Amino acid sequence: MSTALIDNTYKDPAVRPTLVLGGQDFTSITEKVCGIVEAPKPPRIWYICLAVAAGLTGVLFAMVGYLIVTGVGVWGLNIPVGWAFDITNFVFWVGIGHAGTLISAILFLFRQKWRTSINRSAEAMTIFAVVCAGLFPAIHVGRVWLLYWVFPVPNQMSLWPNFRSPLLWDVFAVSTYMTVSLMFWFMGMIPDIATLRDRATTRVRRIVYGLLSLGWRGSNRQWHRYERAYLMLAALATPLVLSVHSVVSFDFAVSQVPGWHTTIFPPYFVAGAIFSGMAMVVTLLVPARQLFGLKEFITLHHLNNMNKLVLATGSMVGFAYGIEFFISWYSGNPFERFAFMNRALGPYWWAYWIMVICNVFVPQVFWSKKARTNLWIMTIVCILVNVGMWFERFVIIVTSLSRDYLPSSWGYFKPTWVDILTMAGSFGLFLTLFLLFLRYLPMIAMAEIKSVMPQAGLEHGAHAGHGQYWGEIPHQHEHQFDELNGVKR
Amino acid sequence: MNPMVSPPIDLATEKRHLGELAPMVIKVALAIGVLGIAGTAWLAYGAHDGGERFYRSYLVAFVYFLSLSLGALFFVVLQHLTHSGWSVVLRRMAEAVAANLPVLAVLALPVLFGLHHLYHWSDPEVVAGDHLLQGKAGYLNVRFFLIRMAIYFAVWAGLSRYYFRTSLRQDETGDPGLTLKMERLSGPAIVLYAVTQTFASFDLLMSLDAHWFSTIYGVYFFAGSILGFFAMLPIIFYLLQRSGRLTHSVTTEHFHDMGKLAFAFTVFWAYIAFSQFMLIWYSNMPEETGWYLRRQQGQWAWVSLTLLFGHFVLPFLALISRYPKRRRGMIVVPTMWILLMHWLDIYWLVMPEASEGRVPFSLLDLTCFLALGGVFVAAAAHRMRRRALVCEKDPRVAESLRFENA
Amino acid sequence: MTGSEKQLRGLLAEFGSTDVLLRAAERVRDAGYTRWDAHTPFPVHGLDEAMGLKTTKLSWFVMACGLCGAGGGLLMQWWMNAVDYKYIISGKPFFSIPASIPVMFEITILVSALAAFVGMLAFNGLPELYHVVFTSRRFVRATNDRFFISIESADPKFDAVTTASLLTSAGAAVVEPLED
Repeated sequence: MSTALIDNTYKDPAVRPTLVLGGQDFTSITEKVCGIVEAPKPPRIWYICLAVAAGLTGVLFAMVGYLIVTGVGVWGLNIPVGWAFDITNFVFWVGIGHAGTLISAILFLFRQKWRTSINRSAEAMTIFAVVCAGLFPAIHVGRVWLLYWVFPVPNQMSLWPNFRSPLLWDVFAVSTYMTVSLMFWFMGMIPDIATLRDRATTRVRRIVYGLLSLGWRGSNRQWHRYERAYLMLAALATPLVLSVHSVVSFDFAVSQVPGWHTTIFPPYFVAGAIFSGMAMVVTLLVPARQLFGLKEFITLHHLNNMNKLVLATGSMVGFAYGIEFFISWYSGNPFERFAFMNRALGPYWWAYWIMVICNVFVPQVFWSKKARTNLWIMTIVCILVNVGMWFERFVIIVTSLSRDYLPSSWGYFKPTWVDILTMAGSFGLFLTLFLLFLRYLPMIAMAEIKSVMPQAGLEHGAHAGHGQYWGEIPHQHEHQFDELNGVKR
Repeated sequence: MNPMVSPPIDLATEKRHLGELAPMVIKVALAIGVLGIAGTAWLAYGAHDGGERFYRSYLVAFVYFLSLSLGALFFVVLQHLTHSGWSVVLRRMAEAVAANLPVLAVLALPVLFGLHHLYHWSDPEVVAGDHLLQGKAGYLNVRFFLIRMAIYFAVWAGLSRYYFRTSLRQDETGDPGLTLKMERLSGPAIVLYAVTQTFASFDLLMSLDAHWFSTIYGVYFFAGSILGFFAMLPIIFYLLQRSGRLTHSVTTEHFHDMGKLAFAFTVFWAYIAFSQFMLIWYSNMPEETGWYLRRQQGQWAWVSLTLLFGHFVLPFLALISRYPKRRRGMIVVPTMWILLMHWLDIYWLVMPEASEGRVPFSLLDLTCFLALGGVFVAAAAHRMRRRALVCEKDPRVAESLRFENA
Repeated sequence: MTGSEKQLRGLLAEFGSTDVLLRAAERVRDAGYTRWDAHTPFPVHGLDEAMGLKTTKLSWFVMACGLCGAGGGLLMQWWMNAVDYKYIISGKPFFSIPASIPVMFEITILVSALAAFVGMLAFNGLPELYHVVFTSRRFVRATNDRFFISIESADPKFDAVTTASLLTSAGAAVVEPLED
């Protein structure tokens, strides 16, 4: 079976779908993945994307510089709307950062072997998203140079941070998340960087990849501890990822602001975060797999699964909207009722309906397998989901703040050009980092993907059906597409 | 030949029917049930409180067994939704437990008879003097409550019967198309499940204090239900194996996975419970805090602490290591404890609403538990008396028999 | 190497597939070698048993660190807010358990994860800038598509001839000396 089959979503319950197509073996996987990094020049479109992204990053730095030099007044937020684009962007980016850990940790614990094709790039995306997220609260504090006061380090005023404030919990949650994700990502890459080191042809590569690979020599005594550490990091990252967005939701939910204070916020924020993060992974990987010719690794089966997760988490989010709305009525509290009616029908009705349409209605097309496996449809849906999830945070933050208890302190937030350009710039930073990652680091976890290949020996004896990989009858998979290919046996 | 090949497990050599065990289990369970019913009747009659105390005890026991069946239904649907292979040999027992839902629909009748004793919103006089309840009367009224109950149980009974029967049909035909059919329904099924389970928890439990509200309540009840089911599952297979059934097909790997799920949902329950408590405690708004205050005053404080340590800390410590999860006799100890704690959790949700400051443990709690438990077990055993205890012709059964934890 | 003779450090054997490697590892294990290792591009399932490796103690180390993180995190919050720098804000108590749980939890995870990562590297002796197996030109494929077994000359059972013949008879495609 040498013919590369593009559709491996074919369904026979007894046979697990093939995860890597095109009759690959260990050598060809190394060649393919390392080839992207080792190619003398990336595709031209990469340069174009990088130029645009870097330009936007420049805009971001200019805006941040302007903000620091001038003051937070350059943004449109003001009492009563004291939080607006900045915190919206913060929550949005932290949310995007949740998919990487979902894929690398939670799916790992659930033995979902298909994660091996996408976990590396999703983890990278997580880290870049958290970088973008961390930027916004940092620049919102006003005197950026005193930011280190949020950490419990002794300072000249001998004061300690206020641990009773959810904003401080956020500092700990996000910085822990950043550190753990970075370790997880780097640790996963050590064996692959060692591959790049061993293939290096130039001195610079040999030194850089040599240092980064820490002297990894693929020894099984090392692998043994490595796998144990990986399992533990996954087990630690799983509650961590739940806690991070829960703590972010505490920023709002511990308050008494109608529309913010509701007990479902923690799990609902987590579902929303994974929803937007998965959508972002699909949005980035569809072009990346086309561009670098990775259709045999990131197959339609992978995309199909990711889109199912988008549908599942999107439906959870939609369900939470419904429960919130119902309980606001059921509570009998007039302020609660007002807050929700105001969201849907008040001055920000347009934002609310963008949110509902993009987050609740649009993903429902993924009930159809055709939509889940059509590249154009999935890209459009996932981009819309990201739009919707940005507006979700905007709606939560701004509509509640703009309507204080007394009509005399009502307001209407309008972003300034600085607000808008800073937000656009953060996408530039995110994409720049992601594009650099695609070019200079192995974007597919070679060692992990090799370990789920048929040649890795998993289909033998006691290891058959190990995890979610090969079917139970040895070598049956070799013939599973014969019928489609017109091969007679 | 590969040296590592181990002989595959052959289902045909396995004792996979209850056989002569079934009549015995049914008889014992029914005897316990009848004893419970008799005791309940005697105690309730002697209480001279118009049934007040009986209805509360009954509600606790009823919701407890309902939650176990709902957990089982969720498990079955989830396995199909995720095209799961490892769990195939466990699924039949889950299907059998879920198939108790039609029985539970009948057992819900006493709750409906006791509506006026349990739910203050059902009393028009109370509502007339309560501005808040008037605002909710569009939802919290007897007629709509009964309609909703009918819908919930129709959905649950329909789903559980469908999954049980289709799976049995596959035992006969071995048609893999039935798996595809069940998988196709699992998406809509899980949506229906989420809606009915959430609103049922609002109706049956949250509205005991109709002034109070919490959006996470449905998730809290869900977390407890699933945990209760995952605690019950290893016990079922432990007992079956002790009696010589399924001794090979349910492997150490399955026990390990069941233990992992019990552990995971112990943590999930704690996460949800903490989220709800934290947000209400920190905001400190009188309209919400009363609910927790009742559970922190007097003897209830001890029950709350028991839940914190017994429902979370102890099972967490007992299940975190791989060691006990791979030993059948060891895993069932913490899971039996979790089943007990799950009962206390429901008790803690129901009872403080009627008894402030005092934990009103009564023999009625025990007799109601025995009555419903006896019927619950007898119904499941009766259902399984001639059926295979595993989905023997599921297309993924071989995978389930041979999978290994990494 | 200032003119001195190269020294034999061990033998390196190359294998073409995981099956052969697993059987060879069992034979080396059964022959009683202790200072040896297998090198693979990915973790091979079953190799730990085939090599007779004991389960690492890493979990205990991580657990101990995690408990210290939990205790330390709680203590830190109490000392900073209720002892060293007391101030009233929004009428909240100086110290309370529920409000301390998020930070305590995050510190527990942070410390445990650092322990898992740093512990893994330390137990593995990484980073290591030089190792004798890197002198082999074949060995570059150990991170690509080939499987190796290396036996150190420091092993008490090591003998250049018998060890080499053991590896060859176990199915090694190539056996070569490791020297530096």
